[in-house]
Amino acid sequence: MDERDRDARLTATFQDAAQDAPPAGFDVAEVLATSRRLTRRRRSALAGAALAVLALTGVGVTAELAGGSETVAASSAPSRNGADAAAEPDARDADRAAGLEAQAAPAPRAAPHGAAEGESPLGPGMRECADRQDPQLRALVEQVLPEVEGAPEAPTTRECRPGGERGLALEVRDGDRSGVLTVTYLPPGASSDPASGARSAPTASGGTVVVSSRSEEAGDRPPFADRLDHVAAYLALRL
Amino acid sequence: MADRDEEFDAYFRARRDAVRRTAFLLCGDWHRADDHAQAAFVALHRHWRRIRDRSSLDAWMRKTLVRSVVDESRRPWRRERVTDAPSPAVLVEGPADGVVMRHVLVDALRAVPPRRRAVLVLRFLDGLDVAATAEVLGCSQGTVKSQTADGLVALRAALGEAVDDLRPAR
Repeated sequence: MDERDRDARLTATFQDAAQDAPPAGFDVAEVLATSRRLTRRRRSALAGAALAVLALTGVGVTAELAGGSETVAASSAPSRNGADAAAEPDARDADRAAGLEAQAAPAPRAAPHGAAEGESPLGPGMRECADRQDPQLRALVEQVLPEVEGAPEAPTTRECRPGGERGLALEVRDGDRSGVLTVTYLPPGASSDPASGARSAPTASGGTVVVSSRSEEAGDRPPFADRLDHVAAYLALRL
Repeated sequence: MADRDEEFDAYFRARRDAVRRTAFLLCGDWHRADDHAQAAFVALHRHWRRIRDRSSLDAWMRKTLVRSVVDESRRPWRRERVTDAPSPAVLVEGPADGVVMRHVLVDALRAVPPRRRAVLVLRFLDGLDVAATAEVLGCSQGTVKSQTADGLVALRAALGEAVDDLRPAR
């Protein structure tokens, strides 16, 4: 049997093996509804961040006025430039043309590094099934890694994981590198066996946080590979 | 928006079953296959405007699907462990009908590491050539060739050298 015959037989065998499909568990209406829900959630998060920036900008201007400064316009310029610089990676995403995002980018940086000090850790999720794209976890990740602000959610399964878990998977860019950043919170008592290259750390609530990054192109250095330790340590204090 | 949804709807109806089949052989379970396929279609809808070259939609979906399945296989709660020993269902002796053969192949594929399994599925279910498979997987053609060979070795190991005679004569 030559290679072409072998390939033809294998193709027939593979196609035969996938023939007995049960009825599909989803339709186009469900896909569209999920897509729109995710888009709405992302825009809401961005709008909230934009409001936070506006509030902070207002505080800054008020402080300058109170101090007798005559350079109100100048004082706002660095903030705006900083926003543009921070938002630059996001410009690759066509959905980010809404204008909110340039303002939203600095918001995470406005959150002080020790913002969680004195606060209770986030801890286990409260839903019946774990949120695979947990917005609270995402907010924490965006604090320590502002570059992922606005990053699209990576595909995940809809498997019902124990409700105490939290998950996050984002399609991220780090300069010219792209890939998927994955963060998982496991509640106390849940076992963890991190993938190669993943960073895990015990959290303030007694659980475990696992942070990993995978490059889009095989063999490339994963995005944010040199910052995973810092991200895991930051999240561990707050989860 | 309406045009986009109409276009997407047409693509969805044309490709849903094929995407589900690919997902099934990638993960070996129809329920999880539906999860992966649906997640890939949701991602596609969200990226629809950015994919200007409509002829690349299938490649985009395959790339997303493979990434979803391989990523899941690496997660702590779903970590796949490749074993040397095939599952009992694989140990079928003598002639078998098509239904048994389907189970045999699916079980045997589970014994193949996820990336190699993806190479086999893309090449032999989706019928991609080496270059197209390399494009989907983001690797070299040499890697595809070596992983095809390694994957077939693993498949044969699980099937007891029966892979070439797996399909019943018609």
